[in-house]
Amino acid sequence: MSAMTGEPSAAPPPANRALRQFFTAFNTNKTSWVGLVTFAVVALVAVLAPVIATHDPLEQNILDKLQGPSAEFILGTDGFGRDIWSRLVYGARLSLWIGGVSILIAMVVGSLIGMVAGYFGGRLDIAIMQVMDVLLSFPSLILGLMVVAMMGPSVGNLIFAIALTAIPPFARIARAPTVSVKERDYIEACRALGYSHPRIMAVHILPNIFPEILVMGSLWLATAIRVEASLSFIGLGVRPPTPTWGGMIREGFENILDTWWLSMAPSVAILVIVFALNMIGDGLRDFVDPKLKGERGG
Amino acid sequence: MLQYLIKRLLYAVPTLLAVLTVVFFVARVLPGDPAQVMLGEQAGAEAINALRIRLGLDRPLVEQYVDFMKGALSGDWGTSLVTGRPVLGEVLNVIPYTIELTLASILIGALIGVPLGAWSALHRNSLIDYVTRIGSLLGLSFPAFVMAIMLLLAFSIQLSWFPVISSGGGGSLAERLRHLALPAINLGIIMAAYITRVTRSSMLEVLGEDYVRTARAKGVPHLAVVWQHCLRNALIPVVTVVGLYLGILIGNSVLTEIVFNRPGLGKLIVGALTQRDYTMLQGLMVVYTFIIVVVNLLTDLTYGFIDPRVKYQ
Amino acid sequence: MADAPALSVQGLTTEFRIGGRWHAAIRAIDFDLEKNETLALVGESGCGKSITALSILGLIPKAAGRIAAGRILFEGNDLAALDEEHMREIRGDRIAMIFQEPMTSLNPVLTIGFQVAEALRYHRGMGQAEARAHALEILEQVKIPSARQRLDDYPHQFSGGMRQRVMIAMALACKPQILLADEPTTALDVTIQAQVLLLLAELKQLYGMSMIFISHNLGVVATIADRVAVMYAGEIVEIAAVNDLFDRPTHPYTEALLRSIPRVDRTSDTLMAIPGQVPSINRMPQGCRYAPRCGFRQKICEQPPELAPVAGSAPTHQARCWVRAGAAS
Repeated sequence: MSAMTGEPSAAPPPANRALRQFFTAFNTNKTSWVGLVTFAVVALVAVLAPVIATHDPLEQNILDKLQGPSAEFILGTDGFGRDIWSRLVYGARLSLWIGGVSILIAMVVGSLIGMVAGYFGGRLDIAIMQVMDVLLSFPSLILGLMVVAMMGPSVGNLIFAIALTAIPPFARIARAPTVSVKERDYIEACRALGYSHPRIMAVHILPNIFPEILVMGSLWLATAIRVEASLSFIGLGVRPPTPTWGGMIREGFENILDTWWLSMAPSVAILVIVFALNMIGDGLRDFVDPKLKGERGG
Repeated sequence: MLQYLIKRLLYAVPTLLAVLTVVFFVARVLPGDPAQVMLGEQAGAEAINALRIRLGLDRPLVEQYVDFMKGALSGDWGTSLVTGRPVLGEVLNVIPYTIELTLASILIGALIGVPLGAWSALHRNSLIDYVTRIGSLLGLSFPAFVMAIMLLLAFSIQLSWFPVISSGGGGSLAERLRHLALPAINLGIIMAAYITRVTRSSMLEVLGEDYVRTARAKGVPHLAVVWQHCLRNALIPVVTVVGLYLGILIGNSVLTEIVFNRPGLGKLIVGALTQRDYTMLQGLMVVYTFIIVVVNLLTDLTYGFIDPRVKYQ
Repeated sequence: MADAPALSVQGLTTEFRIGGRWHAAIRAIDFDLEKNETLALVGESGCGKSITALSILGLIPKAAGRIAAGRILFEGNDLAALDEEHMREIRGDRIAMIFQEPMTSLNPVLTIGFQVAEALRYHRGMGQAEARAHALEILEQVKIPSARQRLDDYPHQFSGGMRQRVMIAMALACKPQILLADEPTTALDVTIQAQVLLLLAELKQLYGMSMIFISHNLGVVATIADRVAVMYAGEIVEIAAVNDLFDRPTHPYTEALLRSIPRVDRTSDTLMAIPGQVPSINRMPQGCRYAPRCGFRQKICEQPPELAPVAGSAPTHQARCWVRAGAAS
């Protein structure tokens, strides 16, 4: 028993170990670093949008429409004379906001659901996981499409739709380690000491699933951004004139023979950030995976 | 084996019901008024109400649910608000194109992905392996429509190798292939990215297995070891995973069909959205759920056939 | 002793790359395998017995390991220096190997008929029908019941003992000169163990093979071996005819091994475990490798000992110990 906290002691706190593992993973994998730096740059741009943007993204200058890059308009203007660079930068904000919030919600809600299912087991577990499996059988884009089509496109609905598609995988990921950790001796000891379930889950189980959750998080953020862009492209994204990358690509596409180049900047932007996030997640996963016993859902 | 088949078929039924229920939930129970969404913000209360009655949204929920399920299971998927024709009919019109695209994409994906993934695993940490890994990661980072637009720009508009508007092509086989090519390549590359990764990791696992060592100890030539002993085992999880990826493929095909203006379910969806064709939209959601359940079932069945451990219990 | 040995291993050293540097997993292994003899390689996990066998067949993965020194003389060739294509011809045909875990060592998606016939098709150039007929014959020889019907069955449809028999059939299909058996009975139930050992002995007799039998189980070794080589930390520390070894265990490690197994014919109050641990491959002591754990350790043990004849025993009985086997070279 540790005299400090009064908790039955297990091995060194898994959270510290996990953090150290992460740093080692990053150091050994160059592509992860490239991904991380790239993502950080994009995130910074998004956060600093009001500062970095040269114009109001909604401001139309009909006289200046469809111009190429110039000193005044860094990337040129679109069909309504709006500055592409500014729209790009604000679009980044929106994409990262929607993607980030939805994945955050999915991580929290999904992990909670998975932990509860794994921890209490029995009928509750089966019921919950059945629901998760049914949701999982829908492709992300289709489910997102259905929800937004029915609820109407708004930032909130988009966040809800994307979170919905992401919750089941997180539930799955959280459940398996919960099931195995639950059986360990020191959990028995905790229960014998009368610790409440939430406390056990928070203090002992959560740190064990943390690494996998983070890895999934970065990979799913990539998916979320991609889905949001796809929905915007279809026309189910945030309504114009708010700039979204998918929407900007759509504008370029609508007159593809004349204004195809309008699609280029946002296309590259999406590609860069999704690729960066995938690099991060991939590098981390290669490292975290063998450490996890019995999680492989395949 | 028979047992496995029957079990899977039986299991598909409640799954279908469950998935349809999710669709109903999305269509009726989620916050937000479909009638309002359909008519837009400017619509007046009367118009909205009229639409609601017409769509049957004013009836008790349970009644709506029963009607919905009955309709879905009997093939009555509603009538288009715009054309007045049954949804089922519209779907049957375009399904051949979608199936064509799906099969072609899987073929391309497998033809590229399997050899590449296997090669990568056999030459782990070589330059080719590294390039393959980065390349496949890049491939699946592309949103489908971004890649589609780039392909369209490069090969249709600039080079004129392929038609700009792929209407599916009526006449000859060659014409049809020309219209199929770019969309299939688009989705095929994405599939290839996924398949490469799965094949690689599966192959790596198999290469470390004891029975590979046994085969070598028997003096089996290298190529035979790779083919008979490694690939045949490595491909089993790949096949099952491809079934999973079909879902992603279906999702992406919507985007591809839009960009290439190709007939298919995706275009129907977009049409229904732009025209505010509510019943069509709902009907299409039902279609998708049927497809999903069937695909999952087929995947399970295929797995039963190729893995002797399942086949011969 | 007029006949040349079936296999002669001389100074075999196999290294593995750990953390960028090469370390010897087995070092200066010397032994001859006579015709029709069963030589047992005994020792705890990690002592190098499996690596010795894998080195003989050239099955050490090239990325991580290599044969650094020594010769392996077989039928006029030095296997350590032979190119891959010739080695492949020898594997499964002239020298065969069976492994410990029959379930994972058999390919789950191929029928056992196919797997047993494989060596015949590649080494004897047999067609499918002919190979299948031969496979049936061998499966009957290893006493698989209803072999004819079971040719098209898959490994998971057999029990552990049956699978091991299938492995044996696979290995003996081409009637090899030498069989390397790596702990073939360790994963089996005790009753099945006896059957499989008996089978091995019978077949060895029938085919006139020589066998290297690897085990950590001295009880099993006592029943099946003609000669025994005890390995520790990558070296042979004692080698003798089986009776000599059990009557006069000379090296302290051999003694300790014998003491640590319960015996029916002796009353022992306690089982004696050997204190300490096997040194890791990249941190070997300079002198005698067993010295840190040895109760008889003396100053001279800081020098690495060589194998020397044991006084008062047969000339074939040698041990690697300053204290017990006199001075060497």
